[in-house]
Amino acid sequence: MASRSRLSQAQAAWLLLTPFLATYALFLVYPFFRGVWISLHDWNLLAVAFNPDAKEFVGTRNYERVMWGKDITWSLFNAPILQTLGLVGLVLSVFLRRMNRLSRFNAIALGIVSVLLVFLPGFHPGEGGRWYDRRFWPTVGNTLVFVAFAVPGVTISALLLAAALNRETRAMGALRTLFFLSQVLSVTVVTLIWQIMFSPRQGLIANITETLGGTPINWLTDQQFAMAAIVIATVWWSLGIAMILFLAGLQDISKDIYEAAALDNARGWKAFWFITLPNLTRTISVVVILQIILHFQVFGQAHLMTQGGPNDSTQVLVRYIYQTGFRDSELGRASAMAVFLFLIMGSFSIIQFVIGREKG
Amino acid sequence: MKYVLLGAAMAAGVATMAPAQEITLGRFFGACEDAGTDTTTSDGEACIIQSIINAADAELDGISINTLPTDWGNYYDQVKAAYAGGTPPDVHVMHRHRVPEFAGLGALAEISGELEGAGIDASDWSPAALDAVSYNGGIYGVPMDFHANLWHVNMDLMEEAGLVMDGKPVLPTSPDELLAHAQQFKDATGQDYLAADFAQFPIGVRVVLALMWQQDANIFTDDGTATINNEAGQNAVTAITQLFDAGLANPQLNYADSQQAFLNGEAGILVNGTWVVDFYTAEAAKEEVGLDNYYVADFPTLFETGATWADSHMWAIPSSLEGEQRAAALKVLAFINDHNIDWARTGHMSVRTSVVESAEYQALPHRDEYTGTAAIARDTPPSARYGAIQDVLNRELQAIWLTDKPVETALADAEIEVQDLLDR
Amino acid sequence: MNRSYYWLVLGISIPAFLWLVPTIWMVSLSFQPNEVLARTTSSTFFGLIPLPFTWDNYAALFTFGQTPWWFLNSIIVAVGMTLGVLFVSTTAGYVLARMEFPFKRTVMVICLIGLMVPEQAVFIPLYTMFAEFGWHNSYHALILPRMAVPIGVFLMMQFFKAIPKDIEEAARLDGVTWLKIFWYVMLPLARPAMMTLAILTFLYAWNDYLWPLVSAQQREYFTITLGLASIQSNFAQSEGLGRVMASGVIASLPVVILFLIFQRYVVQAMTAGGSKG
Repeated sequence: MASRSRLSQAQAAWLLLTPFLATYALFLVYPFFRGVWISLHDWNLLAVAFNPDAKEFVGTRNYERVMWGKDITWSLFNAPILQTLGLVGLVLSVFLRRMNRLSRFNAIALGIVSVLLVFLPGFHPGEGGRWYDRRFWPTVGNTLVFVAFAVPGVTISALLLAAALNRETRAMGALRTLFFLSQVLSVTVVTLIWQIMFSPRQGLIANITETLGGTPINWLTDQQFAMAAIVIATVWWSLGIAMILFLAGLQDISKDIYEAAALDNARGWKAFWFITLPNLTRTISVVVILQIILHFQVFGQAHLMTQGGPNDSTQVLVRYIYQTGFRDSELGRASAMAVFLFLIMGSFSIIQFVIGREKG
Repeated sequence: MKYVLLGAAMAAGVATMAPAQEITLGRFFGACEDAGTDTTTSDGEACIIQSIINAADAELDGISINTLPTDWGNYYDQVKAAYAGGTPPDVHVMHRHRVPEFAGLGALAEISGELEGAGIDASDWSPAALDAVSYNGGIYGVPMDFHANLWHVNMDLMEEAGLVMDGKPVLPTSPDELLAHAQQFKDATGQDYLAADFAQFPIGVRVVLALMWQQDANIFTDDGTATINNEAGQNAVTAITQLFDAGLANPQLNYADSQQAFLNGEAGILVNGTWVVDFYTAEAAKEEVGLDNYYVADFPTLFETGATWADSHMWAIPSSLEGEQRAAALKVLAFINDHNIDWARTGHMSVRTSVVESAEYQALPHRDEYTGTAAIARDTPPSARYGAIQDVLNRELQAIWLTDKPVETALADAEIEVQDLLDR
Repeated sequence: MNRSYYWLVLGISIPAFLWLVPTIWMVSLSFQPNEVLARTTSSTFFGLIPLPFTWDNYAALFTFGQTPWWFLNSIIVAVGMTLGVLFVSTTAGYVLARMEFPFKRTVMVICLIGLMVPEQAVFIPLYTMFAEFGWHNSYHALILPRMAVPIGVFLMMQFFKAIPKDIEEAARLDGVTWLKIFWYVMLPLARPAMMTLAILTFLYAWNDYLWPLVSAQQREYFTITLGLASIQSNFAQSEGLGRVMASGVIASLPVVILFLIFQRYVVQAMTAGGSKG
């Protein structure tokens, strides 16, 4: 034993850390800074590939061209609904905090979201002005709409299923498997299935509608339904992991509480509402934030099912980045958008981290 | 004896192991995995081109061809990514409209000096074909076809609607007549007069472009000024929207759905390209398909001048290709060029004078019905941003017919965005 | 088991069946002749029952198809990525959970920041970087960028933290080296968490679309996700709906089977990992 050279604790630690630090530095840290650097250049994908000097430093112009416009002004009632909602939220957060109905963290979170709601939608082009890139903010909006429907859709159905299936029997196990099954399909299989499902001529949904005497909906080419179609396919696809996480959370709730509650006649829905939900708040917030991060990066569904259409109504941020970079060859602009994506994702991650710290 | 046998076996091994030049080939047109090597009997774009490629692989000594799978939607993104990554395919198909973008950056090989040596007779190409592959005085590819928008006609339905005369469909000569025909058609058959992909793939854009050219207008000028929001643009759009407004056509069908509607006998006319003529001919011959009596017509002139959207498929090789690999790639180009008649079977128009004049070409099904198309073929002025411009138009036009965006607002928005693209 | 339990099972069986319908439909379409599908997709009971029936689509796939090859690529990439992530995450997770060394806090903070960088935000610089290295169209190009996942490190770190210290300390008193403790003592204990991480990574790798789309242009390196996307386009008329659906089934079948075999471990593992994480 003694003859063997022995690593000190620190040496062993660094040795074991090396694989991670190396991949991390090479494939995440470096690319990230490189991305920021690219975003400060006029950088044509093909031109730079053929001539490395073909890029030109342009400072923040890419950001300006993507996110700003000519004669942009701010006013309070540009988007009345959103901004009013924001004002209400702001008042609520102060009021509820005063009344001690909200924790400090939640009050601050609600407050920040509200301020952003009042502030951001207030920007608009003034007289004779315009956004330099008319598609960027609508694209961000579409992504938010997708997230706003997909995340609650997945979370609520996964939660209900988990609560119903939280029993150790053979039948329940089989049903759990069944609901998880679609999660293992690749995104292209999912879009393949749902593209045909939604087809107004060949689709199963249309066939059934017609048999019942209705007129089939043009799901993927009707602006009212295209986003809904993508959300439906997404919920179908990605419910599994959320359900499993909820099942895990449910098992941490002690059986005694339910038994005690049953004595007070709290069963079924009542038990779900008064016991399951309050005991599951942390799991719910983890699931919600993981889903937000996941779905904010949606690409395949929109790219394959609707190609961003009709009329750009399902154009999402990552698809716009991909198009700007690889169809239009404008890596500089695309990288500026990617940095924006990072900022949004980063703020969600911080929230997730803080929630984990506060309650975990 | 044993040694002799061994030596012979080794010699044989060496002979068959002669280093085959592997050529990677990029193309769209869709997959056809069981195309075989008989170039004269395959059907449809995908299988015809694949059979030609398979034949080249089998017949060209010392060359083996590896076809890269590429779907339509991501084709140019992927080719670009491959070029930028330094691994472009040795031979790839492209449209003429992409030449300014790729050749402008020096991505494509200039091959005018090598054509003859490879056995390609450029003088057999029609002047328009030579023009299609030329850029700044150089030749950057081998043209394969002209393809254009046609009107595919269901003659039984047209007959029922009283729109057939002397065995030919009676097609409109003005927007008003278009509406009148469509109404007459609906009254007689209960079906939609016209179908096309207005919802996804930019067939609708190509229809509107054609109608603008028919008024001697264009979406932008050669010097880079967008000219979309004007009377010509509005006339072109309203010629189509009047059909939607009157419920005589459905703007929500995509490519597959509009095609299905036509094949099922639910639409009198389908606006689509030359690439489906042989496919529809084969379908019409089938008992169970709704379409029985199929006819192909030139895109009718609704305004002053005849015009229809057209483009060219061509084959190019990257400028980085050198030596034997380049020679092998040129051989593949020559082989494809030699099989131009086989490719024409799809319905595309040939680029080679000798083929166009051949009896075999003229005897292709329905070929005599759209002889006028070559003369009216048009496209937008060359631009390195062709793809993005088409996308802007597609979005704004979809906004008009799918979401009731006012025509003038949509065209004004399109003009601003196209101008932005031209200015970049 | 009382009566309400059976009502519950029955009640959930209905949505469960609806949940399965799209999959059943895909399988059913894949067994119908293309000529029939070109006209109607609802021959027998909305097309959910494959009548008229044919094996042709599958026969064609196995005779000419690239699907099996793409499938193999997906397996290579997914397994490679899973092993890589497991290696990187267990080593780093263990160190951060159990060992003391200078700059530990700094390393932790740097990892935390890394959690915030989404892959989709760095695919462009990664693309240009790999282009400069000439790495595109290779297995390592598909695998390496996805190995830098701090989330895996955190998952493992949380897990290692929860393991009682006395086992390890006993071993250390016996003079066992750190590396041996890690390998022989801690890793076997970490099996459930590793399983969770492995499954999540495998699924992630299997579904990765954007990165292969920009990195792989040659058939040799197409994954099944990418390959299937390439035959979905509108213009693939020659393929026929039945054939495309058969490709979808072939692409899914092995993972589904794999999942059905391992699902007990998957669910258990995730449950264990979830409650601790």
